Amino acid sequence: MSVRRIDITKCIGCENCWNICPMDVFRFDYIKKKSIIAYPENCQSCGQCYLHCLGHSLGFSDESTSYAITSTR
Amino acid sequence: MNSSYKPEDSLSQELPIPEVMPPEKTEYTCDVLVIGCGWAGLNAAVAAKEAGADVLVVDKGIPGYSGLSSFSSSHQWFDSRFGDDLDACLREMTMANEYLANLGWYKEWTKYSEMIYERLTSWGFLTQYPTGADSGHYVDGDWRHDDLRGYREEMMAYDRRTKWVETLDRYKIPYVTRTMICDLIEQDDRIIGAVGFHVPSAAMMTFHAKATVLCMGGGSFKPSGFPTGCDSFDSDWLGYRHGLPIVGKEFDDFHFCTSFAPGNVLSCNSWTYLENIWLCGGDITNERLLPRAQAEAKNLILPRIESATRGVGAYTRTDVQPASGRGSSVSKDPSDPRRGKWTSDLPKGNIYGAAVGMQLHLGSGIWCGIDDLEGKTGLGGLWVAGDGCNGSCVSGGSYLAATGFTSNFCSVQGYLAGKAAGASVSDVSLPTANDRLLEEIKDEIYAPTKLQYGFDPNLARDQLQAIMAPYWVTIVKTERSLTSTLSLIEQFRDEIVPKLIARSPHDLRLCHEMKHKVLCAEMKLRASLERKESRGYHYRADYPFRNDEYLCYLTIVRKDNKMQFQRVELKDEWKGDTTLPYSKRYRTFRFPGENEAMHLENDPSIPSSGWNPSEAFHTEETVKQ
Ligand SMILES: Cc1cc2nc3c(=O)[nH]c(=O)nc-3n(C[C@H](O)[C@H](O)[C@H](O)COP(=O)(O)OP(=O)(O)OC[C@H]3O[C@@H](n4cnc5c(N)ncnc54)[C@H](O)[C@@H]3O)c2cc1C
Ligand code: SF4
Ligand code: SF4
Repeated sequence: MSVRRIDITKCIGCENCWNICPMDVFRFDYIKKKSIIAYPENCQSCGQCYLHCLGHSLGFSDESTSYAITSTR
Repeated sequence: MNSSYKPEDSLSQELPIPEVMPPEKTEYTCDVLVIGCGWAGLNAAVAAKEAGADVLVVDKGIPGYSGLSSFSSSHQWFDSRFGDDLDACLREMTMANEYLANLGWYKEWTKYSEMIYERLTSWGFLTQYPTGADSGHYVDGDWRHDDLRGYREEMMAYDRRTKWVETLDRYKIPYVTRTMICDLIEQDDRIIGAVGFHVPSAAMMTFHAKATVLCMGGGSFKPSGFPTGCDSFDSDWLGYRHGLPIVGKEFDDFHFCTSFAPGNVLSCNSWTYLENIWLCGGDITNERLLPRAQAEAKNLILPRIESATRGVGAYTRTDVQPASGRGSSVSKDPSDPRRGKWTSDLPKGNIYGAAVGMQLHLGSGIWCGIDDLEGKTGLGGLWVAGDGCNGSCVSGGSYLAATGFTSNFCSVQGYLAGKAAGASVSDVSLPTANDRLLEEIKDEIYAPTKLQYGFDPNLARDQLQAIMAPYWVTIVKTERSLTSTLSLIEQFRDEIVPKLIARSPHDLRLCHEMKHKVLCAEMKLRASLERKESRGYHYRADYPFRNDEYLCYLTIVRKDNKMQFQRVELKDEWKGDTTLPYSKRYRTFRFPGENEAMHLENDPSIPSSGWNPSEAFHTEETVKQ
């Protein structure tokens, strides 16, 4: 997983993340005008939402949270 | 926990997941339905429109952000104005792709590739603009320091991602987004449309069309770490289900299978995908053929085998290291715009190929026949185009002579399929599916939502990866390793797949993707067992040599619900000089164990691995010629 929230109050509701994420990670609350990171476990870590986040509400992590699944390096 | 802590104070507190309303329109009709909109789909849609058809595009994600196409960073075309030599190109494809390249398609590419380059240029995809280093946004290649977002915002007008939708709009082609196609409507041996669901709401979506073009990409068992995005072998599933042959599965999985961190595409690829698409090509001459192919084998095939079987070294580091900009395919002619690839410094980690089981570019998918040059399948009204979708085998068994040309090639295939599909509809009336058939398809699509108990598709994903990621499945195969893995996959197919449970619309997508991935895992294993030789990316440690008895394509067809193999003979002119002695015919590289098995002297002019996998691997089964 790599997408993460830095500051929800900074979400200006531009809908970019919800519109572009290819992995269906986001939902959008049209009443509160905020995005929701709904399914982070399916993030492919492409970084497109992070780069397109107009409010700079989203962050990115590239820490290793589990071990590589292959033997090669 | 601190007793004064209130979750609502947290800056990272997510709101509850809301239910998504179904789209207003859920039923569509059109002349030509294009499913998937990367390079292939976009070109197919425009070509069909130019042929006078009423076109509709549907994509699982959003065109421009969903498949592999958003990430390709170089573009190669054949240009005789700058001395590209067709004869040299054909020889290179033949030899470097291990005599399995489909030269019919390759020649077709040389005819159309320049036109496609000009087309994409006019649509704004290939505009060259300042690199991050030139614009001052690049600092040191560490995404925490570089101003990647500032760069994107400043260069927004050039961003390739927005060009997909802009081009569809320009040609007045409507598109439906976030809709996963799960089945084709087959009536009287003809495809008359497709059915799927709107991913966020799970609403059923029905499309009736006179002609359908699949441009759905390939897939991988593990998209996290390398962006294969929405692609999950959905077209292989559709093709197999409807009785079409599937080809090339034994060669799938060609990128390095590494990933130290589950998520580092941004940190490893950001500059490449934010900067312009680099224009490449122009270095294919007869003299440079062999060294080029050998260099690629040294970079791509041999280290993969070596590092997979050797494991990590005591001092292997797992952090991201800065790497310098990369050049490729640089033309020698100063007036040639194909300058090669040169990006701002990239922090390169072990990222490539984190997508275990990903298709060999342009190597596997639905097979349309040895003479096909438009992606026309064996089913009426159905065409296929693009990477992992049209199994045109143009890359043969490897990808040694094709680097950088996939984006252009997929566009050519899309263009030709779209043009043919568009031209086919004028004398066809719009069909309607009978209700019972639609009901049956609907029942199958929603089956995972009807279970009381079942297995979460994310759990299944992790289990599938654990089965398919080991090196003895993807990189160094033997009869024993393949047979034992196949029995696990059969169990998975029979015990897990029917019990995948969807507890949300999001899960429903995952359940179908898992089903398709398991089918492809089985095809990959069976095809690997069937090809009892080593060639390209397919390395059998028990048959560590090329065997020209396998100079054929192996296709898988569904018969009585079982996978059956058929051999497709190649055209003679694709086979290279079969009269040459082995040591002269195969000079790109030597597989570990090949010299011994074939009783060959070590030839220092042919790249080989110093590593003998028998130290790590049981190769007592190795066959000697
Ligand atoms: C990181 C990276 C770097 C690359 N670099 C280069 C390069 O430098 N040069 C080069 O030439 N190539 C490069 N490639 C390869 C190139 O990008 C691909 O070969 C090419 O883009 C494939 O295009 P396509 O249209 O066939 O498939 P894709 O772009 O994968 O498009 C498939 C589309 O189908 C949709 N889809 C899938 N399943 C369904 C479904 N069930 N229902 C509806 N829609 C569906 C997807 O959402 C997607 O939009 C790179 C790829 C990657 C990932
Ligand atoms: S990094 Fe990519 S896959 Fe992950 S949430 Fe963002 S857009 Fe989606
Ligand atoms: S992209 Fe950023 S600002 Fe826009 S909706 Fe998403 S989180 Fe909010």
